[in-house]
Amino acid sequence: MDYILNVTGFILEGAKVTGQLYLITAVFSVLLGIMCAIGKISRFRLLRIIIGFYTWVFRGTPLLLQLFFTYYGLPVLGITLEPFQAAAITFIINYAAYFTEIFRAGIESIGKGQYEAARVLGLNYRQTMFRIIIPQTVRRVLPPVSNEAINLVKDSALVSVIGMTDLLRAARQVLNRDFTITPFIIAAILYLLISSVIVNVFRKLEERFSIYE
Amino acid sequence: MYMLEAINIKKNFNKLEVLKGVSLQVRQGEVISIIGPSGSGKSTFLRCLIGLEAIDDGFVKIKGKEVNTYRDGCTEMGMVFQQFNLFPHKTVLENIIEAPLVVKKMEKEGAIEIAEELLEKVGLLDKRDVYPSRLSGGQQQRVAIARALAMQPDIMLFDEPTSSLDPELVGEVLEVIKDLALEKITMLVVTHEMGFAREVSDRVVFMDEGEVLADTTPEEIFLQPEHARIKAFLDKVF
Ligand SMILES: Nc1ncnc2c1ncn2[C@@H]1O[C@H](COP(=O)(O)OP(=O)(O)O)[C@@H](O)[C@H]1O
Ligand SMILES: [Mg+2]
Repeated sequence: MDYILNVTGFILEGAKVTGQLYLITAVFSVLLGIMCAIGKISRFRLLRIIIGFYTWVFRGTPLLLQLFFTYYGLPVLGITLEPFQAAAITFIINYAAYFTEIFRAGIESIGKGQYEAARVLGLNYRQTMFRIIIPQTVRRVLPPVSNEAINLVKDSALVSVIGMTDLLRAARQVLNRDFTITPFIIAAILYLLISSVIVNVFRKLEERFSIYE
Repeated sequence: MYMLEAINIKKNFNKLEVLKGVSLQVRQGEVISIIGPSGSGKSTFLRCLIGLEAIDDGFVKIKGKEVNTYRDGCTEMGMVFQQFNLFPHKTVLENIIEAPLVVKKMEKEGAIEIAEELLEKVGLLDKRDVYPSRLSGGQQQRVAIARALAMQPDIMLFDEPTSSLDPELVGEVLEVIKDLALEKITMLVVTHEMGFAREVSDRVVFMDEGEVLADTTPEEIFLQPEHARIKAFLDKVF
């Protein structure tokens, strides 16, 4: 029993790293995704093309390749990053690419009647987007965003390959040392716990946002 | 001086000529019904007036002054749509105070006071804090009317305000519009409700294939229509 508590304590240290990466990625990729989605539906053609290229590249190549590129590739170009920095930057940019497409689709699912109603009342484009259109897309994008939020829990384990002692790597270190599978079982349980919490948070959010449906 | 003048408005969608030079003069307090077969350009005409569509030729004057409503928007006019287009994520009250707050920068208390008066007028004060999805179509349309009135427009445009309502709900919306007519609010109403057009309007405009075929009193258009096409249309709807 002592052994299990001990091991769990060690793995929880790793989970802290995973948690930090998770929160930073979640906050900034959502913000970046909103900005890019607005850019993608703007009337600036060049901006739309650039963002389209960005989402095409980052959704069309493996996250692991992107992570290697930031961590091992950039130093070749003279840019060296700490593992955590490299991981955070890669995850934010990668997830923002998915969020861009999710939010764009959400925004485009709002009928043109809403824009016209706002316009004849005198709202400008900014007011229309931020007060009328985007608040309505929140409810609609919650299910796909919730999927991404679960994916991110699992994808976060990739950082163990660039030497970060995250939840998974901490578990492997114990396994290498003690030669028992207990740490993997503990890790699996922790991942399941985190995922379940996230699923529940989103379920609450969806309930909260369906009051007007 | 006219409240609203449309002078030779032309509008094409690609090669399709939808408005072929429509002119209309509206005095302060006049209620004008616009009738005509579907596809004749009635909606497009209202949308050109309020600037939801750019016009290709002609111009719009409000109180004698030429305006470009497509470029500048138009706070002198309010519009009510066939599909209501209430903001679903806002309560009835929030729908009504939204524009006064963010466009007119009114104090919240003042905006709420106006909104409550308007809700009283359309008979929905008890629905103040309800979301639109909880309302019937007729109630939603009455809220949409209150929302437009909250900006205190000089002119109200109605584009088939009762066409998507169940028959038993048409009356309550027409009643509200009739009350506005009594208050001498300037109104253009595109409608298929011939009884309403006849009873309420000062003038009836008949549009067909992008042109105004008649612009006259209800008596004249309904009792002795000059045009064969008007006769055919009226025979069909009555
Ligand atoms: N945005 C648009 N693009 C192309 N054609 C349009 C558009 N809006 C309307 N039209 C066409 O213009 C004509 C007039 O439409 P509309 O003004 O809606 O007529 P009404 O309101 O009298 O039924 C129709 O043939 C319609 O198909
Ligand atoms: Mg129409």
